[in-house]
Amino acid sequence: MIRFLLRRLLGAAAVLLALAALTYLLFYAMPGDPAQLACGKSCTSDQLAQVRHALGTDQPLARQFWTFLTTLVLGHGFSTGPSTVWCSAPCLGYSYQSNEPVTQMLVERLPVDVSLALGSAALWLLIGVGTGLFAALRPGRWRDRVTNTVVLTLGSTPVFVMALLLLMGACVWLQVLPFPNYVPLTDDPAQWAQNLLLPWLAIALVSAAGYTRLTRAGVLETLNQDHIRTLRAYGYPERRIVLRHAVRGALPTVVTVAAMDIGMVLAGAVFTETMFGLPGLGKLAVESASTVDLPVVCGITLLAGALIVVANTAADLLHAALDPRVRI
Amino acid sequence: MLRPARIALFTAASVALTGSLAACGAGSGSSAGGSSDAFSAANCQGGTLRVLDSAKNSKGFDPAVLYTSGGGAIPRLLFRTLTTRQSVPGVDGTKVVPDLATDTGKPSENATVWTYHLKAGLKFADGTPITSADVKYGVERSFSPQLAGGPPYLRDWLVGGADYQGPYGSGNTDLASIATPDASTIVFHLRKSEGDFPYLAAETQFAPVPKAKDTGKEYNADPVSSGPYTIAGFTKGRELDLVRNPYWSRSTDQQRLACPDRIDVSLGLSPAVINQRLSSSVGQDANAITTDTSLDAPTLARVSADPALKKRVVTGKFPQIYYLAFNLKKAPFDNQLVREALSYAVDRTALVNAEGGTQLAVPSTTFTPESLTAAHQDYDDFPAGATGNPEKAKQLLAQAGHPNGITVPLAYDTDDTSTGAPAATALQQAFAKAGITLQLQPLSDADFSGTVNTPATQPALTLTSWGADWPSGGPFLTPIFDGRQIVTGGGNFNLAQYNDPAVNAQIDKINQITDYAAAQKQWAALDAQLGKLALTVPLYEEATSVLTGSHVKNAYLDQWRGWYDIATVSVK
Repeated sequence: MIRFLLRRLLGAAAVLLALAALTYLLFYAMPGDPAQLACGKSCTSDQLAQVRHALGTDQPLARQFWTFLTTLVLGHGFSTGPSTVWCSAPCLGYSYQSNEPVTQMLVERLPVDVSLALGSAALWLLIGVGTGLFAALRPGRWRDRVTNTVVLTLGSTPVFVMALLLLMGACVWLQVLPFPNYVPLTDDPAQWAQNLLLPWLAIALVSAAGYTRLTRAGVLETLNQDHIRTLRAYGYPERRIVLRHAVRGALPTVVTVAAMDIGMVLAGAVFTETMFGLPGLGKLAVESASTVDLPVVCGITLLAGALIVVANTAADLLHAALDPRVRI
Repeated sequence: MLRPARIALFTAASVALTGSLAACGAGSGSSAGGSSDAFSAANCQGGTLRVLDSAKNSKGFDPAVLYTSGGGAIPRLLFRTLTTRQSVPGVDGTKVVPDLATDTGKPSENATVWTYHLKAGLKFADGTPITSADVKYGVERSFSPQLAGGPPYLRDWLVGGADYQGPYGSGNTDLASIATPDASTIVFHLRKSEGDFPYLAAETQFAPVPKAKDTGKEYNADPVSSGPYTIAGFTKGRELDLVRNPYWSRSTDQQRLACPDRIDVSLGLSPAVINQRLSSSVGQDANAITTDTSLDAPTLARVSADPALKKRVVTGKFPQIYYLAFNLKKAPFDNQLVREALSYAVDRTALVNAEGGTQLAVPSTTFTPESLTAAHQDYDDFPAGATGNPEKAKQLLAQAGHPNGITVPLAYDTDDTSTGAPAATALQQAFAKAGITLQLQPLSDADFSGTVNTPATQPALTLTSWGADWPSGGPFLTPIFDGRQIVTGGGNFNLAQYNDPAVNAQIDKINQITDYAAAQKQWAALDAQLGKLALTVPLYEEATSVLTGSHVKNAYLDQWRGWYDIATVSVK
């Protein structure tokens, strides 16, 4: 177990280093100059040179990348103009465009995505596993077909369409909820949940289809196995057979996929954040890419990479815990 | 000089929070709002105004970095400036009036020295008095490379401005061309005559900044307010809460009514959601407006069909021209006959349709658009009619030695909703009828200005736009047609690269005029004169429609910027 975790840790460090290098290279291959954007359209060449110097983009690419790495590990002092502020490790630098420390920007936005990921995951698992089981118990019958049709329709709906439908339905037609406006959990838990309910539903309804299919297939496969037939022959109650044995057969796959999906939402759910006006990482990534804000994009890429590595590791550990045949 | 609307697109706060970007204007000058009670300025205080904005890349509120027109929308609630725009609907809203200063400035005889005296009793939100040194420091720090992004005029106009790099760093010097002989007097020494200086003095760079509270790059999150509101809470990209500044008083500020007790701004919302919330006007959204999201064509059609909603729509125009820019240094546009051929071939009806129809765009044959009323003069030297005159264009091309037509690249900004692919495609189709083949050259927003505004990389033909930083012909025409404004290292807007010493001298002469109306007449005449040279093909100006919540009162689009003057809006 410890060897496994150490191996994963080393692998993750290598992946993140490669990601950072790739992000730097991609940005310098792409058109657009962050200094030009920061300086404005009416910027002369002299002013542009001054701004490039202030941003540090006048340095060679390799030097900039090295500075980024040393800043990440050791911290760095940044001039704000009248004074210098110290950015402690792990320091991801200073945003070119919004003039604030990147680490602070990420720390402010990560709770939004954590809230979004955990809440929606709970819902999509509940809906997905529930409907999958519901369908699997009567395969080929009307309820199986109806369930499949419904979840397939929901799963085929783009998340921004689902978001608009939910907003219209809940906030305009029925007026049972206000338009979402993110409230941190620490400020007011009830408001936090109320304002995130629609975003959770939007992601969950679209994502649940995959879990329905996984659960249905897993349960059906297990129910057709010899040991289930034996249990039935011994007269075990059907409810116990389904809940203790059949569902368990489907769980390892469901949990593995869920862990990875949670990692993806944690790394930023752009459409959901945009439609519900949630200030998360996904929206920040898109906006920063469009303004060539390299430190922010690099910071988000590293964080997203780290979250996905953690999610994958968690998936492996959970899979092993649920399925004794798997050893790590 | 002027500001291209595009700048506002990436000067974060300008987009969302200043509303200085593009679009609407006070054409109608009408007041919106569904509430039936009459508005009373004397009794409008109270309540919470909600602002729903899309504001993508909010840079915060550093008055040095903001690029606004007339001080913007929300920044004008936080910052008072030497002068400001007159807060009234209609054409009077284009007038400049005193703000911190007692008048709009006393010019020297040739308008190269401008003197201002501050009103008595002015205070920052922390209770400290506002002095001329604070205004000087505010202007000086806008020269710092760390705080780049503001308008370029100060660097160009002030003596020594071109080499000054702000008050930070080892030198720590001040700018000698700004003198403060006493705590209430400030004098600006310009290197050339600028009759429009009072209009520039309405920009946020003229807001006072107390040196002791300056935190440089970090000042944008918590600036010291001099306006009627101060920041109670601000999370970039999420929300901004404004509360009253106890040290502000209507007795020293005749322009801002500051009716609501609180202003809650939600940032980063989807435009579709903003318009849905404003139209449904449910709960607290009845007290809502937006400072950056107009109605698109389909939504406008739906809203217009509903009489109740239609009452809450205000439309108008912002003085901004969408046009084709020729590069006269590149063949075939060094030949006026070819430029005239394109002027005849253009189909303005197709362009207006590409923009979403006549409710959203109006054809224009003049560079200075009709919405810049004072500096506008009608002319149509190359009458293309509503849908173009391809035959005349072919004839001119043949005369120019291109009987088989021409093939030219057309650069455009893919991220610009107004001058993007739909308009470029409409042009391509219209020009094809005249034997002009356009090879579309799409450029991303991040790449557009670097390519187009640098003469070495500038394409032969560009689809672009130009808007007014303040309502005057000077900032509209000077950067585009003054040969001395050609900047080789980037930031060049004289895309024709046209340099006629006689025109340059004419510009200097008009800049000496400090009488607004007289100067505008001269600018209008200069525009008509330049129009005959076919240096550009004016295409259309945009109209904008914006919704308000049903309880909002006295919400009108000011004609200076073409957006709500949030300082006069009431929810009581």
